[in-house]
Amino acid sequence: MTEEKKPEERKKRRTATEAASRIGPMVKAMVGEVMQAKEEKKPIAYSFICCCYDEIIRAMDIVPHWVENYAGICGAKRDAQRFLERAEAENFSRSLCTYALCGLGFDAWREELGEMPPESPWGGQVRPTMMLGSGQMLCDPRNKWFQAAQHYMPDIPVYDLGLPWPPYESDYDYRQVQDYYVKYIVEELKGLVQFLEKHTGKKMDWERLNQLVELTDKTWNLIWETYELRRAVPSPMGTGDAMNTMVPIVFMMGTQQAYDFFQDLNKELKQKIANKEGEVPDEKYRLLWGGGLPAWFALGDFNYFNSKGAVFPVETTYRMIEAIYNFDMDLTKVTDPLEHIAWRWVKFWTYWHDRARKRPGSHPDVERLIKYFEDYKIDGIVMHEAFSCRSWHPGLIWQLNLLKKVYRDIPSLVLESDIVDISSYNEADTRARIDAFIDTLEAVKR
Amino acid sequence: MVYVAGVDIGSVFSKVVVMAKGEIVSHHIMPSGGNYKLTAEEVAKKALTKAKLSFKDIDYIVATGYGAANASFANEVVTDLSCQGRGVSYLFPSVRTVIDIGGQFTRVFRVNERGKVTAFLQSEKCAAGSGRFLQVIAKVLQIDLKDIGKLSLKSKNKVDFNTGCAVFAESEAISRIAEGALKEDILAGLHRTLAAKIQSLVERVGLEPDCAVVGGGAKDIGLVSSLEESLASKLLLPEEPQIVTALGAALLAEEKAASIKVTNLKGG
Repeated sequence: MTEEKKPEERKKRRTATEAASRIGPMVKAMVGEVMQAKEEKKPIAYSFICCCYDEIIRAMDIVPHWVENYAGICGAKRDAQRFLERAEAENFSRSLCTYALCGLGFDAWREELGEMPPESPWGGQVRPTMMLGSGQMLCDPRNKWFQAAQHYMPDIPVYDLGLPWPPYESDYDYRQVQDYYVKYIVEELKGLVQFLEKHTGKKMDWERLNQLVELTDKTWNLIWETYELRRAVPSPMGTGDAMNTMVPIVFMMGTQQAYDFFQDLNKELKQKIANKEGEVPDEKYRLLWGGGLPAWFALGDFNYFNSKGAVFPVETTYRMIEAIYNFDMDLTKVTDPLEHIAWRWVKFWTYWHDRARKRPGSHPDVERLIKYFEDYKIDGIVMHEAFSCRSWHPGLIWQLNLLKKVYRDIPSLVLESDIVDISSYNEADTRARIDAFIDTLEAVKR
Repeated sequence: MVYVAGVDIGSVFSKVVVMAKGEIVSHHIMPSGGNYKLTAEEVAKKALTKAKLSFKDIDYIVATGYGAANASFANEVVTDLSCQGRGVSYLFPSVRTVIDIGGQFTRVFRVNERGKVTAFLQSEKCAAGSGRFLQVIAKVLQIDLKDIGKLSLKSKNKVDFNTGCAVFAESEAISRIAEGALKEDILAGLHRTLAAKIQSLVERVGLEPDCAVVGGGAKDIGLVSSLEESLASKLLLPEEPQIVTALGAALLAEEKAASIKVTNLKGG
């Protein structure tokens, strides 16, 4: 049995926007709603972010429990170690994804006790009705996580959804193959709907699904327009806040609440811009958070950057939307909701392909960095390498090297730790690196 | 006469440089130990005693390094990277790339003609890329750290290591000893492993000549030789590589003292 350990004291991060400060209570309410759903015997699905099925499960009144979010909450509360250790005691390697380890450790413990582990953050992670895996090119543990969780919950059914997209190749146009990908995804989504109907005993409400798909498109456009406001000098909102405002993007998509949240944020940012109110009073350096999930237990580092006059007007992390009207096709003409979702998915992941083909040797991820660098008047790039993420983080340094090769040498800083595992983090070292990076920015600026 | 001092409280060693008129008057190096505050005072006192000075003779003090905050007598704290850039440029104005092998980390950075750092990279927080790696192995082989370099150069048959991790390398070194490998061959093999790690940092930053190597690890001539071999480049080596950061701090202190004097004159 893993010994319970008291979490370390948590330092609360200051937010620049009022909207971002509302996120904490919103997440707490979201976790509470799952608890409530459990009591009311509503179907609950373990879910992954960026999974294509947001609108589908909401149209069927299935309540999502976002497992990555819960692991992030444990990390942010500096209370993940006991769950990680529990997973290790179950023979899972510490070098696996720590979101998965935290979730599996929690599940193993809860199933052994027959109740929530003691003092579980925000009440805990409930036993679900089903688990919806989402195997895709972004993150491979999603194929196996829920299968592993079935060791502890063998009665809980899993549906593993495959969501590919055309990979980038410089010598062919992805449009030659995009139809195949869409067809494949639609079949996967149809299978999901059948699975959900079987396990809930309820039929899909296709009209409602259509409405939610439309709402999601509208929300994507609004988010894009809102985030573009951050181009302003001084920038009214930074990545620290965006690590809060990602919540409606990835956990509430397909809800009116997400749309309303971004309407409020949009209004707030416009007001700040009109008042020339920046994230910091004296903006000296504009930085791009060029990749990597944040160290959830160390979000205060964004305030440390701020204390040096550095702001992050833009980030690639969690900006999992584009303006639908910027796609190279009219998505409004795709009226079948499953096809619509599949096309939106493929168009999002191929959005930067054309730009990359125009610059010899480039890559879509690098083109995105270049576009943001130019649009947001960026001075330097910061990335975070989380040691336990082997699917998304290993290419970050390669991106920086390629950026230097095909574009220019931009001052960069790579921070190292993890998303959840606090033992990987050293505050003094991290801040010394930030200090040194600020020195280099100053030297390059002069 | 205007005297200034640069104080570098590093994770393993602390160093102080006392300067006057752009020349080094004295310096002192000692282990940082477990109490940075006491060490900071002691290392400064020793450097001042060598220069036949006391604290009251010093016009300005810049502190830097891992434990800089503990040098409460300093007028200012500056990042160690800025100090290093300054110190290296003072010694070698032609240098554009610097490899700093410290006790905790290895760092590679580029400097411009004004000694300003324009890009940098630091090794991971594990011991494998730093001087700590050498300390661990010296202990296993029961030899003095300062003798490692000389001994390794006698090697005729470098031992291959299968790991870049200091912990695994320690057990691998023990296995090699058991197999009868010579100490010099083990050391030369470890130098090659460490040099390969540092080389990958250099490649990421980009090697622009001239390149200098500083920090405590630069006192290991075997490691420097391995690095020159891996980088296929001649490296510039300061006479006392361990005090470069403190020297840079002293140079910044000198500038600061001069600017204060000018301000006072103008004000007066």
